[in-house]
Amino acid sequence: MILVIAEQREGKLNRASWEAMAAAQQAGGPVKVALLGSGDEPLAAELAAAEAAEVIVVDAAALGEYTADGQVAALAILIEQEQPGHVFFAHTYQTRDFAPVLATRLGRSLITDVTAIRQESGAMVFVRPVFQGKLNADVTAEGPAPHLVTIQIGAYRGDAAVRGASPAAIRKVEIAVDAAAVRQKPEAPFKEAKQAVDLSQAERIVAIGRGIKGQEHLKLAEDLAKAMGAEIAASRPICDSGWLPMDRQIGSSGQTVAPKLYVALGISGAIQHLVGMKGSKTIVAINKDPEAPIFEIADFGIAGDLFEVVPAMIAELNK
Amino acid sequence: MDRETLEVDVLIVGGGPAGMSAALRLAQLQKAQGGEPLAIAVLEKAREAGAHMLSGAMLDPSALRELIPDFKEKGAPVASEVHHEHVYFLTKNSKVPFPITPPPLQNHGNYVISLNRFVKWMSGLVEAEGIDLFAGFPASEVLYDGDRVVGVRTRDQGIDKHGAKKSTFEAGVEIRAKVTILCDGVRGNLTKAVVRRLALDEGRQPQLYAIGLKELWEVPKDRIKAGTVVHTLGYPLKREEFGGGFLYAMPDGVVSVGFVTGLDYRDPMFDPHLTFQHFKQHPAIAAILQGGQMVRYGAKALPEGGWHTIPRVYADGLLIAGDAGGFVNSMRLKGIHLAMRTGMLAAETAYEAIRARDTSAARLWKYEERIDASEVRRELYPVRNVHQSFGYGLVPGLMYSGLSLVTGGWWLKDPMPAHAGFDRMAEIAEYYGEHKLDVDAPVRPVKVDRQLTFDKLTNVHHSGTRHTEDQPSHLIVYDTNICSTRCRVEYGNPCTRFCPANVYEMVDAGDGTKRLQINASNCVHCKTCDIMDPYQVIDWVPPEGGGGPQYDGM
Ligand SMILES: Cc1cc2nc3c(=O)[nH]c(=O)nc-3n(C[C@H](O)[C@H](O)[C@H](O)COP(=O)(O)OP(=O)(O)OC[C@H]3O[C@@H](n4cnc5c(N)ncnc54)[C@H](O)[C@@H]3O)c2cc1C
Ligand SMILES: Cc1cc2nc3c(=O)[nH]c(=O)nc-3n(C[C@H](O)[C@H](O)[C@H](O)COP(=O)(O)OP(=O)(O)OC[C@H]3O[C@@H](n4cnc5c(N)ncnc54)[C@H](O)[C@@H]3O)c2cc1C
Ligand code: SF4
Repeated sequence: MILVIAEQREGKLNRASWEAMAAAQQAGGPVKVALLGSGDEPLAAELAAAEAAEVIVVDAAALGEYTADGQVAALAILIEQEQPGHVFFAHTYQTRDFAPVLATRLGRSLITDVTAIRQESGAMVFVRPVFQGKLNADVTAEGPAPHLVTIQIGAYRGDAAVRGASPAAIRKVEIAVDAAAVRQKPEAPFKEAKQAVDLSQAERIVAIGRGIKGQEHLKLAEDLAKAMGAEIAASRPICDSGWLPMDRQIGSSGQTVAPKLYVALGISGAIQHLVGMKGSKTIVAINKDPEAPIFEIADFGIAGDLFEVVPAMIAELNK
Repeated sequence: MDRETLEVDVLIVGGGPAGMSAALRLAQLQKAQGGEPLAIAVLEKAREAGAHMLSGAMLDPSALRELIPDFKEKGAPVASEVHHEHVYFLTKNSKVPFPITPPPLQNHGNYVISLNRFVKWMSGLVEAEGIDLFAGFPASEVLYDGDRVVGVRTRDQGIDKHGAKKSTFEAGVEIRAKVTILCDGVRGNLTKAVVRRLALDEGRQPQLYAIGLKELWEVPKDRIKAGTVVHTLGYPLKREEFGGGFLYAMPDGVVSVGFVTGLDYRDPMFDPHLTFQHFKQHPAIAAILQGGQMVRYGAKALPEGGWHTIPRVYADGLLIAGDAGGFVNSMRLKGIHLAMRTGMLAAETAYEAIRARDTSAARLWKYEERIDASEVRRELYPVRNVHQSFGYGLVPGLMYSGLSLVTGGWWLKDPMPAHAGFDRMAEIAEYYGEHKLDVDAPVRPVKVDRQLTFDKLTNVHHSGTRHTEDQPSHLIVYDTNICSTRCRVEYGNPCTRFCPANVYEMVDAGDGTKRLQINASNCVHCKTCDIMDPYQVIDWVPPEGGGGPQYDGM
């Protein structure tokens, strides 16, 4: 059995939880989903739509606000009770915060940032990138079950998670977490930048590069993004000059994204940018240099001046 | 600001072959002589030992044999002994073998190694001795008490681009020591500062440097026999330029290929990275690499001035070893064994001085005495004028190098006069005549196919370089106006060419002029800009701990 740990914050499910679910379903075998928190009925109902053996809601006062210690204490007990073969997580910031501690607490192996799974003579073989994505390594877990696995964001498609014919059963379990054992005191959540965004959640992205020439032309890209219902992102030089905040940078030192549609405006396609977006479903590139490497991975390429092409696109979209 | 302090007896800055050898030697002396155990610490800026190591590398095992006689039993990664040697003079399309391998290039009995693996292995031995190795902690400043060196300060961590403290801020630590051994490598930032402040280079010649670019390749296993080494002279360098190529074969089809050029070239449009690409395209080299895959890239400078450029390597509380002191035999392109040996001699001197409770310059002077009586001088003195002689061109240089073997290095004017490398760079108008040159386009372009030849950015990706992006630039350019005004006209912004990692770019300022853009997080810590910038306005300072290349297998 694979136990998928769903993640929520302030009453909203993290989209990547569905991706972890899809990964578990495709890996084969029965799947259960667990949701930690207090008073999360609507979210449990949302999860119950999935093809799963059951949805386990773990209710404990100490889980009201996320803390690594609370999460680890509750999950250690839950895993002990459920005896899964594998525990799957989405490779989110929150998972990264506590999963290593949990693995150490349980004395079990942890395989992180997994991009694919296959079965080989009865065992699961996990594929994960190494050397900044240059190589893929095949990894198998050692030691007794359960094995802990985190799934790279964007590696699986959330909408590929199979929905059940009828809602899965929801079961509540009470787990006593000793509040005194929680050493962290969460403060009110704050956002580093005013508009901190998690671009990994965006379905469409318009990304701009140095071809945009000046900050005053940003509006053009923003108009296109608006017309498409897309988020705006950029290559490093743009964020470096402060034209956009750093959290909108895509690439090896920025975010990794895999939206359905990625439109690159005036981006040359340096390898450090490509590694952050090559998983996008459809890539459209507009660049006036037909030799630009971005065209090597683009599904649709327009070799032309973005200042001519983009206004035409906006006009067409707004029709 | 409140800073933590740590007190040790001996502080070693830099965990390369020099620093690791110093640490091991101290542990050995400690074991042999007993007494109150010494507190020893090693600081290394790389996240893990060896990560910033880049070398050829052919190891002359003489110092290793002395330091760790049972190195083979201890599993030293020295897999392939040198079997076949070739030295070629290259012209554009052909190669002329040297009839005999000149003695300084003879390598029988030497090993082809990865310095990254070798140093990682040494770090295991160091830690097994209970010595604290602080990886990921760059030293940013030397601490003084008057003119006495009393330790170093590590860099503050967690400062954003604009100089404000982030939530992750951690103040640097002051490490105080009775003796500080600087092993911070070629153009080490601490050595540079201390040499200036204490005028340790008084009466010495200016140091000369070279830059080496290197790639690691995987080629079909039967292509070239492990232990084969190739050195080249000539193409693609011009006659006035000092340097050459190398190709060393390791087991399992792993090939180390690189190109070294003196940082005293005259042509302001010279580009070491493009030169390396031209070198790989030469039929003699391409034949070996064709069909293989480039797996790593990196670059690093090395000191090549030799004996007369070595500064005074001791002061109150201070010793300098390895590349930091300039202990490299440029004729053999070898410095590892000299770094190891000077590290060992420094350790012996420091140990004795601490036991004698006198770590003043008057006592530490013994280090120089030890060097003079050792293999280091016996090896470096006879070749003391080699790189300087190449300042007169390839042919005179070769003649001199040959002659020096006969005369013991004696020359009419000894030491041979030399200029700092950056001083030799000619201005565009002088070198190219009056005609207008497009300084943004290469003079000898190369077609990049991303199989045999690469652009800088793709190469840098294969150096594994990473830095926290939100930090102040660690390349400090004191006057950026000069870039768009004087430098553009006089030298055509040579930093955009000599930097092997595309850190410096001249971009449109929006008003028809250009401005300098510094991509500090691309930096592979080669130190070339600090050395070669014609106005000497660039200072390389260490970035936040752990930042830099990841030279696995280099
Ligand atoms: C360690 C390291 C980490 C890095 N991390 C990242 C990262 O996370 N993200 C990232 O993006 N980069 C990163 N980089 C930088 C990367 O190597 C490139 O420098 C960068 O991606 C280039 O950005 P660009 O494509 O916007 O600019 P350029 O390479 O300058 O490309 C601009 C493009 O715009 C085109 N253009 C110009 N005018 C027009 C016009 N009018 N219409 C259409 N096209 C036009 C040009 O033909 C050109 O292709 C990193 C580099 C290193 C070394
Ligand atoms: C391309 C190339 C080819 C070469 N080929 C050969 C060869 O075939 N054979 C040979 O014998 N030699 C060769 N050399 C020379 C040899 O690599 C050097 O002489 C040798 O590495 C010097 O050792 P070192 O310990 O003095 O310095 P390094 O090896 O440079 O080590 C210095 C260490 O100090 C660290 N450091 C620097 N500053 C700080 C700071 N502020 N705080 C903390 N840590 C710091 C660095 O990260 C590094 O780990 C070659 C060099 C190059 C560049
Ligand atoms: S910025 Fe300077 S030290 Fe860094 S890679 Fe470029 S030339 Fe070398």
